[in-house]
Amino acid sequence: MIKLNETPVRTSRNFNINNITLENVEIPEEVGDFKRVQIIGENSKIKMDEECSEISLNYGLSDFFTNQVKQKANQKIRCNVESKTEKELRIYFDFDEENLQLVDDIEIIANEETKATIMIKYEADEKLACFHNGILRVVAKKGAKVNVIFMNLLNTNSNHFMAIENEIEEKAKVNYCIVDFGGKNSITNLDSNLVGNFSENRIHTIYLGKEKQLLDLNYKGVLRGEKSNLEIEVQGALKDKAKKHFKGTIDFKKGAKKAKGNENEACMLLSDTAKSLALPMLLCSEEEVEGNHSSSAGKIGEKELFYMMSRGFTFKEAQKLMVHAKFNKILQNIKSEGLRNYILKEIDERLE
Amino acid sequence: MSKNQIDEINRNIYDFKNKDEYDFKIKKGLTPEIIEEISKQKKDPDWMREFRLKALEVYHELEIPTWGPDLSELDMSQIATYVRPKSKLNNSWEDVPDDIKNTFDKLGIPEAEKTSLAGVGAQYDSEVVYHSMKEELIQQGVIYTDMETALQEYPDLVKNHFMKCVPVYDHKFVALHGAVWSGGSFVYVPKGVKVDIPLQSYFRLNSPESGQFEHTLIIVDEGASLHFIEGCSAPKYNKVNLHAGCVELYVKDNAYLRYSTIENWSKNMLNLNTKKALVGKNAKMEWVSGSFGSKISMLYPMSILNGEGAKTEFTGISFAGKGQNLDNGFKVVHNARNTSSVVNAKSISKNGGKCTYRSLVRINEKAKYSKSSVSCESLMLDDISISDTIPVNDIQTDEVEFSHEAKIGKISDKAIFYLMSRGLSEEDAKAMIVRGFAYPISKELPMEYAVEMNNLINLELEGSIG
Amino acid sequence: MGDKLLQIKDLYVNAGEKEILKGMNLSINKGEIHVIMGPNGSGKTTTANAILNNPAYTKKKGNILFEEKEITNLKTDEIARKGIFMSFQLPEEIPGVSVTNFLKYAKNKATGKPVKVFEFREELKTYMNELNMNSKNMERSLNVGFSGGEKKKNEILQMLVLNPKLAILDETDSGLDVDAIKTVSKGIEMFKNENNAVLIITHNTKILHSLKVDYVHVLVNGQIVKTGSQELAKEIEENGYKKYTTNRSQE
Repeated sequence: MIKLNETPVRTSRNFNINNITLENVEIPEEVGDFKRVQIIGENSKIKMDEECSEISLNYGLSDFFTNQVKQKANQKIRCNVESKTEKELRIYFDFDEENLQLVDDIEIIANEETKATIMIKYEADEKLACFHNGILRVVAKKGAKVNVIFMNLLNTNSNHFMAIENEIEEKAKVNYCIVDFGGKNSITNLDSNLVGNFSENRIHTIYLGKEKQLLDLNYKGVLRGEKSNLEIEVQGALKDKAKKHFKGTIDFKKGAKKAKGNENEACMLLSDTAKSLALPMLLCSEEEVEGNHSSSAGKIGEKELFYMMSRGFTFKEAQKLMVHAKFNKILQNIKSEGLRNYILKEIDERLE
Repeated sequence: MSKNQIDEINRNIYDFKNKDEYDFKIKKGLTPEIIEEISKQKKDPDWMREFRLKALEVYHELEIPTWGPDLSELDMSQIATYVRPKSKLNNSWEDVPDDIKNTFDKLGIPEAEKTSLAGVGAQYDSEVVYHSMKEELIQQGVIYTDMETALQEYPDLVKNHFMKCVPVYDHKFVALHGAVWSGGSFVYVPKGVKVDIPLQSYFRLNSPESGQFEHTLIIVDEGASLHFIEGCSAPKYNKVNLHAGCVELYVKDNAYLRYSTIENWSKNMLNLNTKKALVGKNAKMEWVSGSFGSKISMLYPMSILNGEGAKTEFTGISFAGKGQNLDNGFKVVHNARNTSSVVNAKSISKNGGKCTYRSLVRINEKAKYSKSSVSCESLMLDDISISDTIPVNDIQTDEVEFSHEAKIGKISDKAIFYLMSRGLSEEDAKAMIVRGFAYPISKELPMEYAVEMNNLINLELEGSIG
Repeated sequence: MGDKLLQIKDLYVNAGEKEILKGMNLSINKGEIHVIMGPNGSGKTTTANAILNNPAYTKKKGNILFEEKEITNLKTDEIARKGIFMSFQLPEEIPGVSVTNFLKYAKNKATGKPVKVFEFREELKTYMNELNMNSKNMERSLNVGFSGGEKKKNEILQMLVLNPKLAILDETDSGLDVDAIKTVSKGIEMFKNENNAVLIITHNTKILHSLKVDYVHVLVNGQIVKTGSQELAKEIEENGYKKYTTNRSQE
């Protein structure tokens, strides 16, 4: 039994949300090799390196998971962004029978006024039971602009553990588009630090749970800079006996004058056995801020379903269309049409 | 723009103290012997004595909650859990000793009784000193009395309900309450009887380094209705006082209950109160809550919607000033189909005060076609205060409509300018905006009944907070 | 005391970092209706806010006198209590404060005397009837959920109740249909007498179709570039501001 992903602020134990307990999860003592990595778009303006910095995480899933990455990573990738015009980099991991365990440490350092789009994808064949534990650390220096497209497309037999940390300096901007579909257990910890004045962070996530998948999303955004701006938008759908925990925290620290933080989480329940647990927290120790959160859960609107079915769509088709509609505004962030369609196809397959 | 402040609520009328005079005050601390002594003093029936001793064991088993405000300054060995005032229970104010009667006079209780209440109970330290109800209600079979009398006169009714809704295992301070409870009100409204005018119980803690542990048990039988008001206050002492009351509400099928609280404990009070309602088929439970006093408050009234079509509403406001940590909220569990809950919570933080809204909405698998909508709004009046929102939303089935919204912010400069352009001073403009912010809640509070509310949020625009 | 009500002398005002008014002069006497017209960004709204000393705007130079007394740096509420009223382009929503209570309180502040509740309600009802306002709005929260037209009428209602010496109407006619504009004009006529004055700030000429005015000023780039009679408004309606803006750029 392992406990991980503690919320930044605890609440009554009876609410069962302060952390998550997993049973029967096999965590490899020693990790073997992982060779199936493709890095596309590598060039002189994004310098690659196989050593990440020693810096550990402030938050993370738990000491155990952080240490595993820091000590036993079988993939270390550091990207040093130096281009003032936008460059694109793809880091794709493909699991197969010989590459079942991935412990990766990825660091993206975007230097002053640079721009980059980084796409990271994890994929596995249908039946394999894969293990993934990763850290992604993004540092955006003054005026840098980083887009991260993060795709967890693992199957539902695998385990996916992920910790993301951002440090965003003055006038820097980091945008995330996170696709969180895979994993019998998919556990994510995201710790975003808006340190600089006018720093910006947009986190847009779509998740999809089916069968007995468990998704645990623990996002925390800390606003310290004046006029910093955080936006968290999470759209998801759950079917079968899938279960999701969303813990989203916006924390306005003293000094974050005129900062804005918005969080919206919406969960579509596609079966009566799916479960949605949400804890959208707002913590505030500064007066001059604007903070909002909203959270909702429920079935797809019957009127909309009826309307579409009256136009000849089957129930399933209509349901898919509705999910597409909700997810599309987030997928718009992905410029590559090919990749977008790839994800849409993935959604359809998973909703079958 | 200069930061003019809205003055703290004038507490003068609550802060007068009477001498610490009593008929009996138990020694400080918490041992089986002390519990036995309380039980003996109170002439408990045997089952109650055993119940108390069992609760004390549970108290020692359970841990102090670590997730909320810091309770480390609470030292039970320094608290006297039972203080019997120098007064018997009376049904005429004439018979209440002068200093105690003067206290309630200043709080406006006898006056309110004459004008707008159907019945009044008044507790001073650990015992109820006054209880009375209008004759016509007695004739309709309504029971409104202190818990001790109820225990003697309606033993079965009490035994079948006492701490069944709030079991002693709920948390440490409920167990404490079970061990040392004293005073409180018992209400029974028979089937179909509608009590149109509210009943009010007022709780006053005068004795320093003591605790108040009143037990309120209300049964609103099928198709009946009631509005019950609870008020509380205490003068300020340097050392900690403790309030760990317990409120159990049984709202039977098709019944209606509104439970209004105006809590204005002094700022040395730890208010660790527990309130819960079991709501039957098509019944409705409404909570209205104003939380202004206390040093630390941990209060999360709870509705359990057990019957199909049961409804609940929570309307509450917390106002935390200097040195206050008010951790309040609401819990609701939807256990049956077609149930609904509406929450409207607000908070105001100023002068370094901290407000936390902590809540739970749980819609169980059985609760199909249920609805829940939650709205929280927090106002920060300066940059040294804190405001946190910690809501848990646990949705376990698909045929539901659930939505939650929360907002945090300060008074808008534009709104202040607008009001000043109409001739209001900056202070008046801010006060007006704050009163307006609180209005959706304060309009639900029975302010005409308790004079204290007028001092807390003065809705009349002629007056001003400052 | 003479007839002089408002005098603006060589006024320079910034909104944030940006210089908006650049040496504005204006004089309004009792019994007059003035109109300031100008294209977007010329400084119209800044003028109104500067008179009421909105802290979001900074005065760099110049004076504002009211009844020949300095008001340049008085607090907003002090200026209001001297008898200047401003109708907002976008009136603020104040939840939880009813229209009646608000007006009662503001009137009390303006007159320094307690307001007689019954008479006050009757007065309010009369005005509301005249302005085609739904009297149900009296108990609603100030401006909350009001339509654009209702908000503007509510501003005029406040003007009538508070009965100031000078009423400044900032874009009160914008976004209104013909009927609503007629109602607003009617409100102004009800208010107007030989002892008070009105300053209408607008970027279009619609309201001038149903209202007779004494002076029309053209405000361009922070200065009044031309003053004339109602005829001037007609000319602008036909030809726009082009003539004035190009003139300036040639300077």
